Amino acid sequence: MLTLTGLCAGYGPVTALEDVSLTAREGEITAVLGANGAGKTTLLRTVSGLHRARSGDIDLAGTRLDTVAAERMPRLGLAHVPEGRGVITELTVEENLRLGGLGRGGRVSTSDLARITDLFPVLGDRSAALASTLSGGERQMLVIGRALMARPTMLLLDEPSLGLAPRIVAQIFGLVRTLVREEGLSVLLVEQNARSALSVADHGVVLNLGRVVADAPADELAGDDQLRHAYLGF
Amino acid sequence: MRARISSLRDHVLARHLAAALLGLVVVVMVLESVSDYRNTQLASMAYLGIAAGGLTVLTGLNGQLSLGHGALMAIGAYTSALLLPDNESSLPLSVVVLVAVVVTLAVGAAVGLAAARLHGPYLAGATLALAVAVPGIALYFKETLGGEQGLRVVMPDIPVWVLDAVFFVTGQDLTRSRFTAYVAWLTLIVVFVLLANLGAGRTGRRWRAVRDDEVAAELAGIDLGRARVSAFMVSAAAAGAAGAILAFTVKLAAPSAFTLTLSLTLLAAIVLGGLGSLAGALIGAALLTFLPSVVTDIGTDAGLSDIQAAELAPLVYGLVMVAVILLAPAGIVGSLRGALLRARARRRTPASAEPPATGTTSGTGTTTDPHADTTETAGTTPATTSKGTAS
Amino acid sequence: MQQFLNTALTGLTLGMVYAAFALALVLIWRSTRIVNFAQAPMAMVTTFVALVVIDAGHSYWLGFVAALLSGLVLGAFLERVVIRPVEGKAEINAVILTLGLFIVLHALAAVVFGNRYRSFPAPFGLEGITVGGTTIALNGFGIFTIVSVLVVMGLLVALFRFTDVGLRMRASAFNQEVARLLGVKVGAMLTLGWALASLVGSLAGLLIAGGGLVHPSYMDSVVVFGFVAAVLGGLDSPLGAVVGGLILGVSLSFVSGYVGSQLVALAALVILMLVLTLKPGGLFAQAAERRV
Repeated sequence: MLTLTGLCAGYGPVTALEDVSLTAREGEITAVLGANGAGKTTLLRTVSGLHRARSGDIDLAGTRLDTVAAERMPRLGLAHVPEGRGVITELTVEENLRLGGLGRGGRVSTSDLARITDLFPVLGDRSAALASTLSGGERQMLVIGRALMARPTMLLLDEPSLGLAPRIVAQIFGLVRTLVREEGLSVLLVEQNARSALSVADHGVVLNLGRVVADAPADELAGDDQLRHAYLGF
Repeated sequence: MRARISSLRDHVLARHLAAALLGLVVVVMVLESVSDYRNTQLASMAYLGIAAGGLTVLTGLNGQLSLGHGALMAIGAYTSALLLPDNESSLPLSVVVLVAVVVTLAVGAAVGLAAARLHGPYLAGATLALAVAVPGIALYFKETLGGEQGLRVVMPDIPVWVLDAVFFVTGQDLTRSRFTAYVAWLTLIVVFVLLANLGAGRTGRRWRAVRDDEVAAELAGIDLGRARVSAFMVSAAAAGAAGAILAFTVKLAAPSAFTLTLSLTLLAAIVLGGLGSLAGALIGAALLTFLPSVVTDIGTDAGLSDIQAAELAPLVYGLVMVAVILLAPAGIVGSLRGALLRARARRRTPASAEPPATGTTSGTGTTTDPHADTTETAGTTPATTSKGTAS
Repeated sequence: MQQFLNTALTGLTLGMVYAAFALALVLIWRSTRIVNFAQAPMAMVTTFVALVVIDAGHSYWLGFVAALLSGLVLGAFLERVVIRPVEGKAEINAVILTLGLFIVLHALAAVVFGNRYRSFPAPFGLEGITVGGTTIALNGFGIFTIVSVLVVMGLLVALFRFTDVGLRMRASAFNQEVARLLGVKVGAMLTLGWALASLVGSLAGLLIAGGGLVHPSYMDSVVVFGFVAAVLGGLDSPLGAVVGGLILGVSLSFVSGYVGSQLVALAALVILMLVLTLKPGGLFAQAAERRV
């Protein structure tokens, strides 16, 4: 379980997050929604240690994260899939995957790799290809697969639907749903595409200008017309 | 509006001319009151100052780095030496300086054209190659350029009207070293006024725009290549003038005077003084001229051999250069100016705890995008705001 | 014909050294986007370390190892202490910093080791090998030069291709933030990268010095040649650096042999200008040309 309490963060004079409190429950998908600039990406960057909070607590299953360096997060079971092109294009598909496995510490076995290529067969087919040759959807699968290599308990997903065709988005969200159901993974999903996100999430949090304006079960949010019109744009 | 701009321009020009006049008075007073030995030293300071002034305009205003200014000085010096082979030559020194400038300008244009598409490490590497290559040319063309020994420079007799004029003003006879020092400092003043005016005007604005943000400059209709080449050429021209003055001062143009070390110490001078500042360039030149003897004396007192002690001065430049970049990238002048601004701001708003940005130009960066990555750009000096890395 | 062949052979040997030096520059450029102009005096200092060891009566090989190890330590130290604060900041600062180090190391070496030319031994004969009655311009030390550079390159390739550390180093070089998110200690990888680069530079320094003279500035022109070789190869590509080094070595050898050794640096400058003007991405640049 990931709990944020009174989190504030910003860049210089700009405040990006103000007193944000939310919980991502175990074995659930929690969607963080909001328009561009609402502070969603900053939220994930702050949780994973890429950005330092000004104040507030971050707690992952009893461990305080707010002073932990980003590179230690994989060992604590937290994996952050960054927005957009998070693949290292100069490395091959397999090298990207191995790198994900190394984050946990120790060596990467072929069975670790096989587990991921079973989930994403296309990655197995292209394992020797440079990641730069993958399509947008394949790249998104690669970054998710790479994050899973570290066997995380909490997965942070930043805009996985960005720039992808609806069919691929559905495929990826379906996979995430399966992982949560079958492996007990917890997911904190940041999305601008609220409709798709709420269709897969258990719980939703809406951010506006760095503040939490709604926090409710996903179907409740999807049913709230006023909120949808005001903040979610559908 | 137009009238106001032009009056502003006149105002800037007037200020530069006034500063030049004041400088001239100081120069006359100083040169007249010191010994021949000091006059020669001051002439050296002048040529280092001219070269550093050209370099600081390139690096500070345009964000380009040249490690080849020593080599460009060599071109100016050899041109002068070829024009002044013996007493027979009747060319006035001003013409010699001009020819040296033109020749160096031509070489600068060739290097600058290739440099136009480059920045950062590429230009640094290309000019480094220039610095290493040029002394070899003098060795290869032994017949015309004198090889290892170099070329002697024979200074023409001082024109009678100059002797008369100086005697009229100061009541003293003009010695040859003092005459050289006058030529050196007059050249420095002329070069600095020209550089200051270029820097304050439209050309300077273009250079700075290219330095600060290539994309924005291009969108504003500035030709990046032309801005870079012009900055490099202006800077090379100054180095050519400096080379001519060097030839007049040491009366020799030899490869050993134009080693890579010369180029590097020029860079040290402008970093110490503060990139982009002509005053800083002059301070740096003064340090290059007067620091070595002080440091060397300390070294010999501490029991080092003469040869070892002679290396202490570059050691100090290098260490200070590293320290300046790490601790105070604005250099001496920039840091002083920053401290002054901060003090003034504190006095104006005693309640405000927020100090202004340490930089000397361009306000505080409030344009941070929350989604942008958090790599800092060192914006502490006007010269260090060039865009991140090429990838 | 014989002169032609010998010139080519000399160039090939020299080219291997330039290739090694270019490789050192490329390793640092790839990971930190800094051209380490201080590489030349760093290699000079470590060669002097070897000379001190040898002059103290120890074998050449002990000096050789001492130089490589001190290169490793010096590279790591400089990255961690001096370079780290400017990484990721305006590139001009980093360039000025490496030049400041250039001056400092130069002056320090002159104070500590003396500012005069000293001869440096070679572990193998400097007599040309005789093939079919004619002596060719390849001697024992030349062969050693070629072999040792090839061995070091092979080890580097193995490290980067086949080990976890190598994978982490490459990841840090290509995308620091993603590497951090995947648990890579990027800082440590950068330090290691500088250390390895410095080791390779030290090897180049030893090979240039062997059987010749050393002086605080004896490596100054080599940094130019190494840089030109690296740019020939595209500055980003280790393989390009090696090919660039060989091309440059052979070209400069012909300039030296047929025109004059004084113009070698000028020839390097001309080659650099041509490459930067005609193919700024290096000789092996892909169709999509990078902005220089």
